[in-house]
Amino acid sequence: MFLTQLFGELRKLFARKRTYIGYIVFLFFEILVLILWLQVGRQQFAELAERNFIPVEILSSSLTATYWMMVASMFLLGSIYFALVAGDIVAKESEDGNMRLVLSRPVSRLRILLLKYLAVLIYTVTFVFFVGVTGYGMAVMAMGSGGGLFVWNPDMFILTIYPDQSDAFRRLFMGACLMGVSMCVVSSLGFFFSCFKMKPAAASVMALSVFFIDFVLQNIPFLASFKDAFITFRMANWVYVLQEEIPWDRIIESYAILFGLNISLFVLGWMSFQSRDFKT
Amino acid sequence: MLHVNHLRKKFAGKDALKDVSFSVERGEIHGLLGHNGAGKSTTLGIILGMVAADSGEVTIDGISVQKSPRKALRKVGAIFESPAFYDYMSGWQNLRVLVGLSGPFDKKAAAQVVERVGLTQRIHSKVGAYSHGMRQRLALAQALLPEPEILLLDEPTDGLDPEGIKWFRDFILDLRKERGMTVLFNSHLLSEVEQMCDKVSIIQAGELVYQGAVNDLRDDRTGVRIEAHPAETLDAVITHHGGERGQDGRCLFPEGTRIQQIVTELVQAGAEVSEVTPVRRSLEDVYLEHSSLTQ
Repeated sequence: MFLTQLFGELRKLFARKRTYIGYIVFLFFEILVLILWLQVGRQQFAELAERNFIPVEILSSSLTATYWMMVASMFLLGSIYFALVAGDIVAKESEDGNMRLVLSRPVSRLRILLLKYLAVLIYTVTFVFFVGVTGYGMAVMAMGSGGGLFVWNPDMFILTIYPDQSDAFRRLFMGACLMGVSMCVVSSLGFFFSCFKMKPAAASVMALSVFFIDFVLQNIPFLASFKDAFITFRMANWVYVLQEEIPWDRIIESYAILFGLNISLFVLGWMSFQSRDFKT
Repeated sequence: MLHVNHLRKKFAGKDALKDVSFSVERGEIHGLLGHNGAGKSTTLGIILGMVAADSGEVTIDGISVQKSPRKALRKVGAIFESPAFYDYMSGWQNLRVLVGLSGPFDKKAAAQVVERVGLTQRIHSKVGAYSHGMRQRLALAQALLPEPEILLLDEPTDGLDPEGIKWFRDFILDLRKERGMTVLFNSHLLSEVEQMCDKVSIIQAGELVYQGAVNDLRDDRTGVRIEAHPAETLDAVITHHGGERGQDGRCLFPEGTRIQQIVTELVQAGAEVSEVTPVRRSLEDVYLEHSSLTQ
């Protein structure tokens, strides 16, 4: 029963054309990043690779290109679409009046919200995988399927290579999984604001505002020692699975915090929604 | 079937409902009548659990909406004015999603209801392309799935053309006839209430100002328009029979008054009678009477 209802919620979400705006934009953006990687990125990193005795050929691998496509696009561009979809999910139905028909059914408000929240989370995670899969597909078409993975992330102090393709693939897959979980925080923010009595656009803008304020504060040099306190820093911890020695304790700590934050946002959103009057 | 007990509700400190109580018996079509903003929709919202009452309780078939909303709403189907569906989905998909919230979606039952409301040809078209009348038919279909025992209709005929209104009225009356369906019909269209309902509750500024049978309202007194000369003779005869004369020339007499007797007396008194027209006291008259009394 719950699964049928969840399927119905997903049907609603994916039947809307605007849900696909993000997919289309990302396809174009991935093509752009791939071209820039091939034309500019590889040459710039070649020197860095040589200095660190890293075989330059690894820069021409499809997995390395996929990594750069995901890193470059998901955090900032992806957050916009997650906030848009999540900000819409409750507020749009309240605004359009669909919610009255839904609430006239013998179903609790908690269940309605749970269905919507799960639908948004599924959208978020599948979107991240969509970007990964399409990015990898494009990279394979452009440079073939061979090669390992070169990872460089100066903010998180990571410089490493995985010459073995299966190892590289496994690491990148794990990274994509955690990235998907990280991005659920943006969706949770959008969902949280969507539960209040406000326009869908306002809910999305509020979610993005919180996300970007956190991101800006996190990058202020004199706040560097407080990085752990920022959501966006915790979200970026997915990249640690690409480190040669994975710091699991750190990853678990960060994702426990993000999980707690998501639950808190859901509960607060539900409390607001539960107390609202939906007048006909 | 439906009992509304002492509902009170304030919005931003202003009274929206002041101790509203009424009951709807099984198989009855009950009109909830009032001006815009009188409190009808708030009452309906509380019945459906969408609005939290400050005090009071609603029970549907003995189950409290406030205490067990899911259980109580299992017996309810609802239609709202300008029903908002998911325009980007087909009528059928809308039914699947909405009805799926109540329980398993029975395709066969849904197809029968769709046929009954006359939407079979267009059920797989996107709702965005539906006319207002078609949306209202779809609303009716979703309200009837899965089989409710009581229908709550919130100004369902607003915006429909005369043909659509008639179709809707006949449909509801047929439902009552076939299934003994209980209906609470929320409207400001007096003629609709008069033609459909057995009982009526009139709400004015959040207060229930009248509750009773529609027929009682219409037939409790005999109305007749009389033109006779001289007017003094006419007034004397009216007063003699305990009647009263309105400004519009219409006279109201106590129940059982025989009009022939009045005319005979007028003629015998030498009056020249030029018009005698029976006038039925409409629901509108009663509604306006009660409204003006409250105001």
